[in-house]
Amino acid sequence: MPKSISVVKQALDANDGGEADIAMAERGPANRAEGKSKGQATGHARAGRKILPIVEGLVLLAALVAPLVLQDYLTVFATRVIILALFALSFDLVWGYAGIMSFGQALFFGSAGYGVALLARDVNVTNIFLVLPAGTLIGLAFALLLGGFLLLGRHPSSVIFVSLGTLTGSYAADRLARGWYYLGGQNGIPSIAPMSLGSYEFSEGPAYYYLVLGILVVVYLLCRFLVRSQFGLALAGLRENEQRIAFFGYKTQHLKAIIFTIGGAIAGLSGSLYAFHEGFVWPNMVGVVVSTQVVLYVLFGGSGTLIGAVIGAVIVEGVSFWLSDNYRDIWPIILGVLLLLVILFRPLGLISFVLGERERVGSFGAKIKEKPNAAP
Amino acid sequence: MASAFVAAFEILSFGAIIVLVVLGLGIIASMMGIFNFAQGEFVLLGAYVTYLAYSHGVPIWVGMVAAPFVVGALGFVLEALIIRRFYAAPIVAMLGTYALGLIIREAVRGLIGGFYLTVPEPIGGSIDIGTMHISAWRFTIIVITLLVMAGCYLLLSRTNFGLRMRATLENPSLARASGISTPLMYGATFAFGSALAGLAGALIVPVFSLYADLGIRFLIQGFVAVMVGGVGSFIGPVAGAGVIGTLSAALPWVMAPVVADVLVFVLAIVFIKFRPQGLIAGKGV
Repeated sequence: MPKSISVVKQALDANDGGEADIAMAERGPANRAEGKSKGQATGHARAGRKILPIVEGLVLLAALVAPLVLQDYLTVFATRVIILALFALSFDLVWGYAGIMSFGQALFFGSAGYGVALLARDVNVTNIFLVLPAGTLIGLAFALLLGGFLLLGRHPSSVIFVSLGTLTGSYAADRLARGWYYLGGQNGIPSIAPMSLGSYEFSEGPAYYYLVLGILVVVYLLCRFLVRSQFGLALAGLRENEQRIAFFGYKTQHLKAIIFTIGGAIAGLSGSLYAFHEGFVWPNMVGVVVSTQVVLYVLFGGSGTLIGAVIGAVIVEGVSFWLSDNYRDIWPIILGVLLLLVILFRPLGLISFVLGERERVGSFGAKIKEKPNAAP
Repeated sequence: MASAFVAAFEILSFGAIIVLVVLGLGIIASMMGIFNFAQGEFVLLGAYVTYLAYSHGVPIWVGMVAAPFVVGALGFVLEALIIRRFYAAPIVAMLGTYALGLIIREAVRGLIGGFYLTVPEPIGGSIDIGTMHISAWRFTIIVITLLVMAGCYLLLSRTNFGLRMRATLENPSLARASGISTPLMYGATFAFGSALAGLAGALIVPVFSLYADLGIRFLIQGFVAVMVGGVGSFIGPVAGAGVIGTLSAALPWVMAPVVADVLVFVLAIVFIKFRPQGLIAGKGV
């Protein structure tokens, strides 16, 4: 795979022409690890490329101090936002990086939530080291099943089919959850026991907040590593021009199924955190409403950048919380109008106000030994 | 015998409703290549216009006649302002129309609140055939659906307007070279599809009553029906709608409604997976 990096890069850059190609190869090594690149960040070519780490650092800093300055009920709200940001991350991987429109991401989020709720209710298992992996596995398994079915096969599936298939899956799950008595029907499963570690119980508050923040940071770093790896490069190629990547010999369907499954696992993790945080699960959690909510976050913040998904979730939820007192009724309308404006005029999301196209796409893989301009 | 007949009538009338909803969706999807996520909200708007007429003391049928024109006009404006920008990118179009739908849905929710508002049937009562009673309004819906279907087919296949519409959608540059105003035709097609949704909403509101999430329910069923039937022709989505409508109405008679509900979707997705071109492949009317 490493050998083919430059080839795929050509595919990525074909639209921008050769210059971008060279530029990309040039900045390839530098941007890979922020710590290392600091020392070698010389020359004007790299000068404008360091906004992303700053944004990431600022967001992390804000997240770290948030519980110290916020009132208690706001910390609870902030915890919810962090969990939703984790969820947004899962959708961003699938849509922003691999170009798979998953309109049913809530299926994995909600089914994991239901799964851990059942574990807590029927088997009395609430140990954090059991329920979180269980939730992740549930999300992973559902994503593997649905993604495998929708994406694999002799004929590559059309984008429309995949998006409608995931949407339908989510809708069907919603209907099933509403009608199934065992899952609590319309009311869902109330009063789930809190997540525990030995005798310690995670209840709403700063402890839970830092727990989910820690998980978010770990998952974020893993995703960051993933999308900057050669696998991530292939994914980006997939998003930009699937056919060309297929012609290079990549099994595009497999790549898609893998990232879809990873996305499902992350959604499952966030879903189980959400279920324990809220203390109940209800059918909307698997349904179309939440599925489209996550699409909103990512489009708002900026798909194709991991931090964009996080920022989108924070902004959408934050503004909605802030406005909900006075403008509860018209907030969804405002949200719709803003979303429409973003789609029409800022397709790359809010992050594109501070982030250039080059930095958004980023660079990939290990340092390339060959001369940068030997590519064409 | 009697109950079998009633069951058949129920299935037929529900199938007709789905066909009515899908017609507009299918025309926009087939002819313009856009999956219009706001279509469910156009149905909702049609229902809302009818309710508005009723609540202001205007005869209901006036509202029903007005609904397609109001929604069609709105569709025309939206196409000119927004949808037009999306033709190059189908996925962006989905998201954009979703945002549109969100705006319409929440606006209607703001107007009516979280209530279920009922609108009486303009033709009440039942038709008695021997010992059996069937709802007169549902029967009317079936008749209107048949008329609308025939009308659409004739419009697309037999009239000058339909010919120009098809020409525009098949080969825009050639159509432009032949002196057809393509932007106008796109607008007209979208308006036509929206008007059909408005009509559907107006006709079904006495059956389902008016609530803000009325559209979502039909939207997903409609999409599945379009995919099952096959995108690209007029008759494909109609056939798909017939199949989906019949299945969703018939299966609950033989199994638990919850299972039936989900089973229809699962069957449909499996079917599309193995026959992506749908029931009826190919272009044409």
